[in-house]
Amino acid sequence: MSEHHSNEQHHILSNSMAAKIFGALLVLTVVTVWVAQFDLGSLNFAVAMLVASVKATLVCLFFMGLKYDHKENTVIFSTSFIFMIIFMILTFGDLLTRGDVYVKDMSKIIPDGAVAAQTKSKYEKAWVSNPELLAHGKELFAAQCVTCHGAGGAGNGVAAAGLNPKPRNFTVADGWKNGRKASAIYGTLTKGLNSMPAFASLPPDDRWALSHYVRTLGPHESEKDSAEDLKKAGIDASGAGGGSAGEKQIPIDVAIDLMSEKS
Amino acid sequence: MSHSTTAHGDNYLNHSHGLKSWLLTLDHKRIGLMYLFVILAMFLLGGIFALLVRWELFAPGMQFFSSPNTYNQAFTYHGAIMVFMVVIPLIPAAIGNFILPMQIGAKDVAFPRWNLVSYYVYLFGLLIAASTLFINKVDTGWTFYAPYSIRTGTSATLVLMGAFIMGFSSILTGLNFIVSIHKLRAPGLTWDRLPLFLWALYATSIVQVLATPVLAITLLLLILERTIGIGIFDPKLGGDPVLFQHFFWFYSHPAVYIMVLPAMGVISDVIPAFSRKPIFGYKAIAAATFGIALVAFVVWGHHMFVSGQSEFANFVFSFLTMLVAVPTGVKVFSWLATMYKGSLRMDTPMLYAFGFLFVFTIGGLTGVFLAVVSVDVHLTATYFVVAHFHYVMVGGTLLAFLAGLHYWFPKFCGKMYNEGPAKLAAWLIMIGFNVTFFPQFILGVLGMPRRYADYLPQFEQLNRVSTIGSWFLAVGFVLVAWNLAKGLKSGVKSGPNPWGALTLEWQTPSPPPHENFLKEPVVTEGPYEYRGEKALMGSNA
Amino acid sequence: MAQGTGSVSHLDRHHAHHFKSGHEEFEACKQGMWIFLVTEVLFFSGMFVAYAVLRVFYPDMMHDVHHHKLLDWRMGALNTVVLITSSWTMARAVSSSQRGEQKNTVGFLWATLLLAGVFLVVKYFEYSHKIHEHILPGAQYAYEGLTTAKVPIFMSVYFVMTGIHGLHVVIGMGVIYYLIRRAKRNEFGPRYFTPVEMTGLYWHFVDLVWIYLFPLLYLVG
Repeated sequence: MSEHHSNEQHHILSNSMAAKIFGALLVLTVVTVWVAQFDLGSLNFAVAMLVASVKATLVCLFFMGLKYDHKENTVIFSTSFIFMIIFMILTFGDLLTRGDVYVKDMSKIIPDGAVAAQTKSKYEKAWVSNPELLAHGKELFAAQCVTCHGAGGAGNGVAAAGLNPKPRNFTVADGWKNGRKASAIYGTLTKGLNSMPAFASLPPDDRWALSHYVRTLGPHESEKDSAEDLKKAGIDASGAGGGSAGEKQIPIDVAIDLMSEKS
Repeated sequence: MSHSTTAHGDNYLNHSHGLKSWLLTLDHKRIGLMYLFVILAMFLLGGIFALLVRWELFAPGMQFFSSPNTYNQAFTYHGAIMVFMVVIPLIPAAIGNFILPMQIGAKDVAFPRWNLVSYYVYLFGLLIAASTLFINKVDTGWTFYAPYSIRTGTSATLVLMGAFIMGFSSILTGLNFIVSIHKLRAPGLTWDRLPLFLWALYATSIVQVLATPVLAITLLLLILERTIGIGIFDPKLGGDPVLFQHFFWFYSHPAVYIMVLPAMGVISDVIPAFSRKPIFGYKAIAAATFGIALVAFVVWGHHMFVSGQSEFANFVFSFLTMLVAVPTGVKVFSWLATMYKGSLRMDTPMLYAFGFLFVFTIGGLTGVFLAVVSVDVHLTATYFVVAHFHYVMVGGTLLAFLAGLHYWFPKFCGKMYNEGPAKLAAWLIMIGFNVTFFPQFILGVLGMPRRYADYLPQFEQLNRVSTIGSWFLAVGFVLVAWNLAKGLKSGVKSGPNPWGALTLEWQTPSPPPHENFLKEPVVTEGPYEYRGEKALMGSNA
Repeated sequence: MAQGTGSVSHLDRHHAHHFKSGHEEFEACKQGMWIFLVTEVLFFSGMFVAYAVLRVFYPDMMHDVHHHKLLDWRMGALNTVVLITSSWTMARAVSSSQRGEQKNTVGFLWATLLLAGVFLVVKYFEYSHKIHEHILPGAQYAYEGLTTAKVPIFMSVYFVMTGIHGLHVVIGMGVIYYLIRRAKRNEFGPRYFTPVEMTGLYWHFVDLVWIYLFPLLYLVG
């Protein structure tokens, strides 16, 4: 809003400066091509980007005149790169960490498209409770269940207020829709019930661990699983392993690969 | 006041005559009104689709639509029209275009010709997208998620092109506003005297400029995906459909703030004017405006909690999303503190502002619920989400727009509407809105999924209530339209400043002269230096 | 963005009515141009993210592309030199117009236009070679020589990036030609050179994008 009436005050790039910058850009182009002839591993990329950025800076400062311009315009133009970086970082924040939570070794895909849970169980019989499973179940409970079921399992978690029907109270014996057998709780975890979503994305071991732990929260006289119960839950009691009814969820990357292979 | 009458005066409405003088005008005021006209027409169209959708949901089974497919098309049009053609340009392009240059004390925006170009680009994109109503329709939902949007046999390509083109209009408007605010402020209008409506438009424009280009490339890639199969998003070709969601929401989440920031700006101007008190926390509100604009860019992943996005990203986005509540809270408390011990006048704009505070706060708080991943897993794609974003967009943006429309109506045409019907309409809209959308929160918690033409019998009662509410809402809007049309035709003269407001646009005749001010205004104090009831009664400025 | 208003009469040009001075108008136009360039950067950012995804997750595929010489770095290098030279001629055109050297202005604008044409011709040879070999984007890819997974997507990224960039070159050529016509009518000089300077900014930006595209696509494998 100044009153200077003068384009004349505008900085004019001198011919010699223009020539110098032009020369520098050509030299840098040769440098980047030359460096690319050598295999420096990941350093190639870094060098190429460094050289490109030096070139870009020269173009911005001199040819585009940011060096002589209002700082305002420099700030404006820089903003675009900041937001481009935000775009990249947060997108990669997802892409780079996708494999971590889903079952890691779910690499083999059965040809008919069903996904075999290649989760080797750490336990000989995960459907039979043991102290290690209970300890693991307690950890999982704190991470996955307390929001709704409450720390003590009384169905009074912070999110319970908004739910109808209310979350199951694990401390009392009655009212359990599917029963209190470990296999029944395992089934509920796998399939979900009313407001409770399915937790089928947890590996079978984890679901068993949770099932055993949840049983310890209430009175202790609940029934044990019969062989038939286990069969219903997809377990062959005579065999070993954590047991798995075919996993319905697969990581997005696996799904993408599958789809592209099939087509 | 330099001029109290415009009876003989030249104003922007009688400055030149004929249809051509409007269609080729470079006057920001006329362009603003032309935007308003088209946007309201589209609002009517989008509203009709909304009513049809609600009618369909009046009872289980099919009521109105011949098949679930046509229902899908109806809600797609409702969403796409309302988002891209109505709510995004509503306040900036229509009211902002009219008011911004006047509030900075300028004769026009920085680039009047680009302003007109922006209008026609918008219109062109709109016509292309709307043409699909007659050619094969579209059924992707307004989010165009891949891979369905790649496969659908409907005219998705045309709609994508339309949205792509409208994006240019949005960018041009934002660019114009930023440069205008930087370069064209009147003498004395320092940054700390800038009305908060301008701060809001300024932040909105920055978001528009930074986010819209990413939508453009996203839509372009999707068009290429449909036409030649480039495979970047198409899982069949080895692409990643979740990457599409990242691209899409990088724009579309900030777009939510493009919708709501100007609304907050309107409220920040209306509340002090009708409380006769300086605004509380001017700097805090201005800073919060920028806080929201910035956070807008780092929270998009909360739309993708169940998309297959990694849990680490869920955690990060959940945390960042909750940050939005901080600047928003700062604003809400500042508005309340402004009203505290003020001399409140419950004129129609203030009535809408109250409605905004009530409804928007509910919308904002339910947003915090949805930011919690474990709760969101349960509520995603249910009516809870539908209710939440309608509380923010309709309850927030639309109510603020109506507040602004009633506030600046006398400035637009120099005449006054009838207070009685205006207030009645405000109540009808408030009641209708809450009756329509509050039950949807409950439906969502009970697990009713969105985007289905049919539902289980146990949801019938609440859906019926919701549908009846939508009728109230419709009657309210019709009443607003009728009342304002009547005011336009035969309203009493309003005088230059019926509200005794202090921002610059009120210090010039209504309707304003062709060049806005009879002589260049000089600003000597802040925009909200109200000193009690008296300022309203006596002479102002 | 290089819009003036109304008729331009040689050196004593009137600024638009809502600006206080020609200087203010010039500064506003320039800022508008910079903001426009911001939108351009973010427009390209989507493609850079798509590229980064391929680079991070499929380094072997990128290596194969490089190894099989799907893209000829000599063509890319030639075009880099052409564009850098055109950037220099553009910078000279701008400074010439600021000094009121009309002949030089016109001459350097012609040189820029010519170099832009050369760039497109080289691009045409690259494209036609690829079309001939069926080294095409995504679903269209049918090159027998390299069948590594995701190569078709890399080709998509290549074609979209260079295609959009090429479109910018074409648009720039149109604007430069328009400038030449105005410069011939002696419309630019020390007191009014806004359109030349704005087009200059745009053209340098087009160069800027290519400065990154060249190493990313052609050089690093």
